[in-house]
Amino acid sequence: MMPGKAARTALKYVLYYGLALIWLVPVFWMASTAIKPTPEVMSFTPRWIPSEVTFDHMLEILDRRPFLTWMLNSFWVALGATVVTVLTTTFAAYGFARVRWPGRNLVFFIFLSAIFIPWEINAIPLFFIARELDLLNTYAGVFLPISAMPISLFLLRQFFISIPTELEDAARMDGCGHLRILRHVIVPVSLPAYGALMIFIFIFSWNEFFWSLIALQRADMQTLPIGLKTLVGADDIQYDLMMAASFMASLPALIVFLILRRQVIAGVSMAGVRR
Amino acid sequence: MARMRRILGNRNLFIGLLFILPYFILWLFFMIAPIVYGFYISLHEWAPFGGSTFIGFDNYLSLFRTERFWISLQNTFVYSLWVIPLIIGLGLAFALLLHRVKLRGSGFIEAAFFFPYLLNVSVISIVWVFVLDPDVGIFPYYARLVGLDPPVFLNDPVWVIPVIAFVTAWWLSGYRMVVFRAGLQAIPDELYESAALDGAGPLRTFWSLTLPLIKPTLLFAAVITLVGGMRTFGQVIIMTNGGPGTSSEVLALYMYRLAFDFLDFGQAAAVGFILFAIIFVLSLLLFRALGFDSELR
Repeated sequence: MMPGKAARTALKYVLYYGLALIWLVPVFWMASTAIKPTPEVMSFTPRWIPSEVTFDHMLEILDRRPFLTWMLNSFWVALGATVVTVLTTTFAAYGFARVRWPGRNLVFFIFLSAIFIPWEINAIPLFFIARELDLLNTYAGVFLPISAMPISLFLLRQFFISIPTELEDAARMDGCGHLRILRHVIVPVSLPAYGALMIFIFIFSWNEFFWSLIALQRADMQTLPIGLKTLVGADDIQYDLMMAASFMASLPALIVFLILRRQVIAGVSMAGVRR
Repeated sequence: MARMRRILGNRNLFIGLLFILPYFILWLFFMIAPIVYGFYISLHEWAPFGGSTFIGFDNYLSLFRTERFWISLQNTFVYSLWVIPLIIGLGLAFALLLHRVKLRGSGFIEAAFFFPYLLNVSVISIVWVFVLDPDVGIFPYYARLVGLDPPVFLNDPVWVIPVIAFVTAWWLSGYRMVVFRAGLQAIPDELYESAALDGAGPLRTFWSLTLPLIKPTLLFAAVITLVGGMRTFGQVIIMTNGGPGTSSEVLALYMYRLAFDFLDFGQAAAVGFILFAIIFVLSLLLFRALGFDSELR
């Protein structure tokens, strides 16, 4: 006998929601461990619901490590990367997409070929270059290379090129120069592209690890990923503290995602189609 | 001559160059200069505070004679070969599960698959070290509960690379899912309707309609994942620090150790340049072979 329609629908729901919950098990486990008493953390049988909720681990992290400094540093790096990327690539994308000059496509292609350069891998020379420029242990030292990634320029130029010229022509008739056209015509209609670009750069720099590890050696300059790494590799493994720190480090992303879920996924989708 | 003068006298040329100048400076200093300078360093017995000696290609030659270099190169490739099918496969599976499905709360399902992507590399590594811990980890616990005898995943030379690849796939496949969903949604509904009229079942529809249409997207993602896999670093240094022994030491980690543990910046730069050359040439070749170079124009 064929199962009824209702039964199949129910099965589908169990399958989908079950899979989603299993996928997030490590996240739930992290959150549960962050707030449970230490003996239950080191128990050999998992205890999903803590017998009591404790904030001791989180307070201990805040007390013993410069956790808020890490978070703030991460924030400044991500903000700097986003602002500098948006500014420089806006001008460059306009110069490539809307100003007609000989050789612009060739120059753009040369710029773009650097998309294949794994820049973090060049951390050794980058380290010495940053030292010469006095950029070691500074936010700018971390975010300037991120802002130089050609993918951002590519994303914005593709969008600028697709804008019809009629608006621009009308503005030019009215005597607008390039800067006013850029500001009043191009940028306002490109807001979706900017949203995608900013989300992409913000997530990228919030997560950047390799170059930050090398460029930020001073404890008071370290970002979240680098600071968290200092919790690993100690002789006594303290999972309660590690989970509390990981949980706190994930809270900003979680909160932003809960509020702006659609926008984040749409932005990532738009920026990611080519990456 | 006349042509030269016409080009140089072009007012737009000047304006265009002015517009690209700020980005050009960033690009030159932080994308191009490191390659050139890295190659220069790799030709030296490098002393960080001056007094370096030019030694030609000796750093490269001595690397080629070092077993550890070859091991890390092999580990890097093995890892990439694991991580590509895992990320692409999981990403595609999730995208297909959510494609054309009528389900209340499918937005929540998508968000659940995507969420790990928003955690940073240290968080995912630390959390999975805990989940996989042989004593108090939940994964070995439940594996034992169903009668399996799980290995000590991160301390086992055979398992360690596939496990790190799986953790990476857990972290990143949600991102691929979002990208694949965009590709799937671009397929017109009429095609599915006519396939249904022809009596094609779900499997047949997938093989002869969906798959051919999103093949370019899949190949593109495979190239990008390969390139990303070649430069993997954070997960490895946190989860295993290259261990046990050198079983999971990838090239990027080997380079980091050469520089900051052994202070041999010349050899480290040589490893970096080799890695750059492999990734750059590989991605250019694959892009050309798969016909993606036109997409970048």
